[in-house]
Amino acid sequence: MYDSIILRTVARLMLPILLLLSLFMLVRGHNLPGGGFIGGLLAASAFILQIIAYGPVHVRRIIPVNFLGLAAVGVIFAAVWGLIGLVTGQAYMLAFWLKEPIPGIGKLGTPVLFDIGVYLTVIGVTTQLALVLAEEPILYPLRRRPVSADRVAPEA
Amino acid sequence: MLLTSVLVTFAAAPLGLLARYLPRPPIGWILALLPLAAFAAFAAQAPAIIAGERMSQAIPWVAAMGIELRFSLDGLSLLFTLLVSGIGTLIFIYTAYYLAGDPGMGRFYVYLTVFMGSMLGLVLADNVLTLFIFWELTSVSSYLLVGYKHDYADARRGAQMGLLVTVGGGLALLVGLVLLSTAAGSYTISEIIAAGEQLRASSLYTPALLLIFLGCFTKSAQFPFHFWLPNAMQAPTPASAYLHSATMVKAGVYLLARLHPALSETPLWIYTLTSVGAITMLIGAVVANRRDDIKGLLAYSTISKLGTMVLLAGMGGPEAPAALVATILAHALYKGALFMLAGAVDHEAGTRSLSQLGGLRRLMPWTAALAILSSLSMAGVPILFGFVAKEEQLYAAVDNGLPAGLDIVVLIAVVTSAVFGVLYAWRLVSGVFFGPLGSGMKAHVHEAPAGMLVGPAVLTTLSVILPLGLLPATAALLQPAVNAIADDGVKISLYLIPSELSLPLILSMTALLIGAVLTRFEPQIAAAPSPLPLWFNGDRIYDAAINGMLQGATSFTRTLQNGKLRSYMTWAVLALVAVVMPPLVLFGFNGLVLPNLAGVGPFELVSALLIPVGVLATLRARSRLGAIIASSIVGAMIAFLFVIYSAPDLALTQLLIETLATVFLMLLFAVLPVGFERLTSDSERARDGLIAGLAGLMMAGVAFAAASNMQFASISQAFRAESRSQGFGDNVVNVILVDFRGFDTMGEIVVLFIALLGIYAMLRLRPSVEPTRDDEEAPTPPASLDGATPPEHGQQEQQETASEPWLKA
Repeated sequence: MYDSIILRTVARLMLPILLLLSLFMLVRGHNLPGGGFIGGLLAASAFILQIIAYGPVHVRRIIPVNFLGLAAVGVIFAAVWGLIGLVTGQAYMLAFWLKEPIPGIGKLGTPVLFDIGVYLTVIGVTTQLALVLAEEPILYPLRRRPVSADRVAPEA
Repeated sequence: MLLTSVLVTFAAAPLGLLARYLPRPPIGWILALLPLAAFAAFAAQAPAIIAGERMSQAIPWVAAMGIELRFSLDGLSLLFTLLVSGIGTLIFIYTAYYLAGDPGMGRFYVYLTVFMGSMLGLVLADNVLTLFIFWELTSVSSYLLVGYKHDYADARRGAQMGLLVTVGGGLALLVGLVLLSTAAGSYTISEIIAAGEQLRASSLYTPALLLIFLGCFTKSAQFPFHFWLPNAMQAPTPASAYLHSATMVKAGVYLLARLHPALSETPLWIYTLTSVGAITMLIGAVVANRRDDIKGLLAYSTISKLGTMVLLAGMGGPEAPAALVATILAHALYKGALFMLAGAVDHEAGTRSLSQLGGLRRLMPWTAALAILSSLSMAGVPILFGFVAKEEQLYAAVDNGLPAGLDIVVLIAVVTSAVFGVLYAWRLVSGVFFGPLGSGMKAHVHEAPAGMLVGPAVLTTLSVILPLGLLPATAALLQPAVNAIADDGVKISLYLIPSELSLPLILSMTALLIGAVLTRFEPQIAAAPSPLPLWFNGDRIYDAAINGMLQGATSFTRTLQNGKLRSYMTWAVLALVAVVMPPLVLFGFNGLVLPNLAGVGPFELVSALLIPVGVLATLRARSRLGAIIASSIVGAMIAFLFVIYSAPDLALTQLLIETLATVFLMLLFAVLPVGFERLTSDSERARDGLIAGLAGLMMAGVAFAAASNMQFASISQAFRAESRSQGFGDNVVNVILVDFRGFDTMGEIVVLFIALLGIYAMLRLRPSVEPTRDDEEAPTPPASLDGATPPEHGQQEQQETASEPWLKA
C-alpha cells in the first residue's frame, strides 16, 4: 500500500519477532498475561503489517495460507477437545489434564488446546478480514490484476 | 393398538409412491388395504366400546414437560375413526381412477395417508398437546392437498388461505388448551373433562374457551372464517370429499363435542355457539343456492351443516347430543358420496358449472341414480338417513335448552335451513342430470368408470339401508358417542316412522313442502342480490389483510434497511435505549451507592479526563485521519486505566484491538477523500447527538447500577481461589476464558467466524465483481459510505505506481 523503504524494511524484520512474540503470549497465557486471543491478535497484526507494507499479493505469496480455512480449522479445533467429556459420559467441555507436565512445554490439558483453537480462529478471522479489504476491487481497483498501459482507467 | 394404528399409518405414507411403478387403477385397491385394515381394527373394538369400555394407551414423549403421546378410544373417537378409515378406504380407491392420468398421483397418496394418520391421531388423542400437534398436521396435509396442482395460482391461493386461517386458529387453540390445562392441573384430556366444575369456576375459563372457540371455528369453517372452505375446493376432488366435507372440517365440531361435558352450559358457551352456529348454518344454506360451481354449492352446504353441528353442540337440551352424532354420520355419508359424484361428473363432462351442465341422467345413469339418492338424503326426504338425522335436529331444536324467545328463533333458523337444504339439493340434481344437454360439456360424455362409483355406491347404500332396518344397530353404535358428549342417561333413539304426529314431524314436512314450492323460483333465488354487503366478504378481507401485511413489511424494511449506515446505527442504538432505559430508570437505581472517590489518584484522574477530550476531538476533527487518531485516544486511555487497575490482559487486548481497528479504518479511508463531507443538516445533527447522548447516559447508568448492586456476593473471589486448584493456571482471566467460562468463548469464536463469513460473502461473492474488474468505468464506492466521491486522481496514480513492485516481484 505504502511504497516506503523504511516501512518495508521494518515490516520484514518485525515479522519473525511478532510471530515469536505471539507464540510466546499463547504459551504463557495460562499463568501470565497473554493467551490465545492476545496471541492471535499479535500474529494477525504481524501479517497485516506485511499487507500494509507490501500489499496483499505479496503476502499471499510468502504466506500461502487459506486464512478462511484457518479460521474454520480453529473453531473445529477448539470445539473438538470438548468432546472428550461427552465421550466419557460427562459434560461437554469438561477440562482434562495430563498427570505429568511435558518437559519444555509445561502441563498440558484440554483448556490449553482449546486456547490454541481460539488462537487459530483469531488469526484466521482478523487476517482474512484485512485481506478481503485490501483485495477489494472497489477500494483498490488497480491492485488485483496486471493492467496494460492502454487499459488504465481514463480518470487515472 | 391405538398407537400402532397411528404410527403405522404414518410409516406407510411413502408406500403411495409405488403408484409410479405399479399399474394405475389396481394400485388404488392395493393402497386402500391400509385404511381398510384400520377400519377393520377399529370396528373390531366396537363391541367393547358399545359395552361401555374405554381403551387407553400412553408413551412418554417430552417427559420433562409432561407431554405424552396419549391416546384413548371411546364412543366419540370410535365414530370418527370409523368415518376416517372407512371413507378413507373409499377415497383411496376413487383416487386411482380420478387421477389415473396424473403423473403426481404417488405424491397425492402420500399426502392422503399422512392426513389419515393425522386425523386418526387427532380423534384418538387424550393429551392436549398431542391433540394440538395432530390438529396442525391435518392443516398441513390439507395445505399440501389443496395446493396439489401447484402450477395454478388459484390452487396456491386456496392452499395458503386454508393454511393461514386454520393454523392461525390452531395457535389460538394451543394457547386456549394450555390455559385449560393450567386451570385443570393436567394435560390429559380425560382428566380435564373430569375437572369440569373446577374449570367453569376458574378465572381462566373465559379466555381459554374463547381461544378454543377460535381454533374450532377456523377449523370447522364457521362464520366469519368460513371463506377458506370454498377456496379449498381447488383441491382435487378426492381431497375435497375426504378432508373438506367428511372428516377434517369436523375436527372443530369434534373438539367442541369432546369438551362439551366439561365446559358447556355456561352462558358464554351457549350463546357463542348458538349464534355462530346459527349464522353459519343460514349463510351456508343461502349462499349454496347462489353458486354455479357444483363443488362450491357442496362446499357451502357443508358450511351450513357444520354450522348446524356447532349449533347443536351449543344450544343444550336433552336431544341435542343425539342429534349431533346423527348429523355427523348422515352428513359424512351423503356429502362424501356427492363430492365423489361431483368429481365423476367433472371428470367425464369436463366442467363443474351448473350453467354448462345438464341432462346427464341419460349419459351417466349410475352416477345420476346415486347422486339423486344422496341428494334426497341431503334434502332430508323420508326413508333416507338424512331424514332421520333431520328429525333428530328438529327434535333437539323444539326441545332446546335456550331461554324463551331465543328458542323460537333457533327453531325457525333450523327449519329455514332445512327449506334451503331442499332447494340446493334440487338445484344440484336438476341442474346436472335433468333438462336439456348442457352446452359446455365434452363432446362424448360416458358413464364414469366403475371404480369411481364404488365409493359413492357404498355410502349411498348406507344412507338408504341404515334407516331400513339397521336403525337399532346404528343407535347402539352411536350411543357411546352420545355418552361421551353428554352425561349418562341420554338415550339416542333413531326412528324412521314416528309413532305419533308430533311438532318436529309437522315442521319437517312443512320444510319439505315449502322447499318443493320454492324450487319453482330457483332461478330468481340464484340471481337475487347478495344479502351481505359487498365489502363484507371473507375473500376480500383476507386479500386485503395479506396485501397489507406484505406492503407493511416492505415499507418497514425500506425504512429500516435503507442502505445508509448511519440510519442503521440510529435504529440499533434507539432500540437498545428503548429496551434498556425503562427498566433501568424504574428498578436500576434502588439502593444506589455513590462511588467512593477517595482512592482516585492523579493517573486515574488524568486518563479519565482525557477520554472526553478524545471524544470531543473526534467530533471536531476535519479530516478522517484526525478523527481516527482522536478516537484512538479514547481507547488508549481505557487501556491505561486497565493497567492502573492491574488488568494486564485487558489492557493488552484493548491496545491490540485499538491498533487493528485503526488499521482497518485506514484500509477503508485510504481511498476516500481526506476531509469530511457535510451530509446532515443541523437539526439532524442535534437529533443524532440526542440519541448518542441518551445511549451514553444509559450505559453510564448501567455501569453505576451494576457497581452499586451488592445483592449477590462477587464471583471473582471464587474464581481467584479456584483458578490454581481447579484450572491449573495462575492467570485468572485466561482460566476463566478457556475453562470456567469456556463455553462462552466457544460461542464467541463461532460468532467471530460467522461474522467473517458474512463479510467475505458480502465482498467476495458479489455476482458482478469479476466481470467489471477491467471496465473502464470509474470505480464507485460502496453504497453504505453514502456521499463518498470516487478516489481523487493523485491518489489513484500513487496507488498505481505502488502496485508496480508487487507485479514485478
